[in-house]
Amino acid sequence: MNLLKTAVSFTQLFPEAVICGTIMATVCSAFGVFVVLKRIVFISIALSEAATCGLALALVFHFSPLAGSALVTGVVVLLLTLPDKQQALPKDVLLGTVFLLASSASVLLVAQSGFGLEEIKAMLYGDLIVSSPRDRWVLLFTGVPSLLLLLLFLRPILYAFLDREGSRVLGLRCWFWEGLFFFLLGLVVSGASKSGGALLVFCLLVVVPATALLLARRLWSVIVISVALGVLTTWAGLLTAYSADLPSNPTIIGISCLILMGVALLRTVTARICAQHGAGSSRI
Amino acid sequence: MSTSPVIQCRGMTVAYGRDVVLEKIYLTVPRGALLPFVGPNGGGKTTLLKACLGLIPHQEGELVCDFGAYPPAYVPQQKQLDPIYPVSVRDLVCMGLYPETGCWGRLNRDQVVRVDEVIARFGLLRHQHKHFGELSGGLRQKALLARAVISRAEVLVLDEPTAGLDATSEADMLSLIRTLHQLEKKTVLWVHHRLDQCADFSQQVCWVDKQSVRLRAISEVLS
Repeated sequence: MNLLKTAVSFTQLFPEAVICGTIMATVCSAFGVFVVLKRIVFISIALSEAATCGLALALVFHFSPLAGSALVTGVVVLLLTLPDKQQALPKDVLLGTVFLLASSASVLLVAQSGFGLEEIKAMLYGDLIVSSPRDRWVLLFTGVPSLLLLLLFLRPILYAFLDREGSRVLGLRCWFWEGLFFFLLGLVVSGASKSGGALLVFCLLVVVPATALLLARRLWSVIVISVALGVLTTWAGLLTAYSADLPSNPTIIGISCLILMGVALLRTVTARICAQHGAGSSRI
Repeated sequence: MSTSPVIQCRGMTVAYGRDVVLEKIYLTVPRGALLPFVGPNGGGKTTLLKACLGLIPHQEGELVCDFGAYPPAYVPQQKQLDPIYPVSVRDLVCMGLYPETGCWGRLNRDQVVRVDEVIARFGLLRHQHKHFGELSGGLRQKALLARAVISRAEVLVLDEPTAGLDATSEADMLSLIRTLHQLEKKTVLWVHHRLDQCADFSQQVCWVDKQSVRLRAISEVLS
């Protein structure tokens, strides 16, 4: 009853935080399933940092934050999808360089802007509590169409990721489907970064879907569980932060990580028990 | 059914950047062949097959492929598929129907029957709802072969289908390949390393060693 009262009071005080958190969690957790499956976790953190760098650029040069983050993220997406036939260095090196460059550029840009520490922190780490109606519209216009396109083209995107060469022989234009996915991912990250900050977006793209992958074995179930977990942990994090007077985003991230660790531990224990009893299955 | 050769390479050169893998090769693969591609490691066996499938572009020469009414089917090595993906054996087999179903199409009754038949024929009935990653190497390879067969392709291209399999699974896989060739008259092109096993299947092999690509009698290669 007490929890319900807290929830109602929080929703009345910060309706935008609840709405933005819910949209962001839904979209990012669904996209994250493919980020984890494709093993491109490092790409997602590089994109998140690039989006933050774009926000800093927009802050300093006074233009739309969405345009700033979309611009820089778009450049990074383009860079990452360019074919590298020579492969003189692993792609991870490029990703690492993008990450470092974007992170340092964000700090340097804001440091030169004359803004205070709180603005810098809010921009780099995000804060759902201070989400505005404008953030809600940005999330709706970037996230929802991207999610719909992902679900609409789930089959070719899955096939292109699962077996690129086999899919090409089957007639799929894998470069198109991969490019579309990265473009949509870039759009989602750009839209979510202002409210969520790089860390929360990264958490929703990686930690939450990873938990779902431990819990389910069919793609649709994984996506549904990932979205449900993302939304629930966001709400739980917001309420905990409100009740305990904590910063919202780190609280959501902490809860997500704890759930992942708990599920991973439970899975290990279950697998051992199954192995001892000869059940054979390692999944819970 | 057409009687023209499945593949004709005339002076074809394939390279990865500056690294020339196959240089000015000439090759004609007859329709209905069961042809193992053999040769030393790094000789370009897989590259040649991938070039023929259009997966790798060729720099020079001419490549004419006539795979028949349906696109060819490619069976990669089972280790190339990441076992983390939440797909079942049945899902994987259904992937072979993509040219028919497209992005959104649902399987019709005939296609469902075909999936059931192929799964039963490859001995995957008990495993059809299992996660691909949970299967043994032999079963994974069978599932990939089943995906290839359901597409109705007349030409099957297999990249080391027995790599990493134990003796029983290897024999099982070879038997399936032989059946597909003999009973369904499929043209089967496969990269293989064991010449002694090739002798049980075919009179000829395609010897691939960079500049030297040609059909040779197995007895000649063995001697």
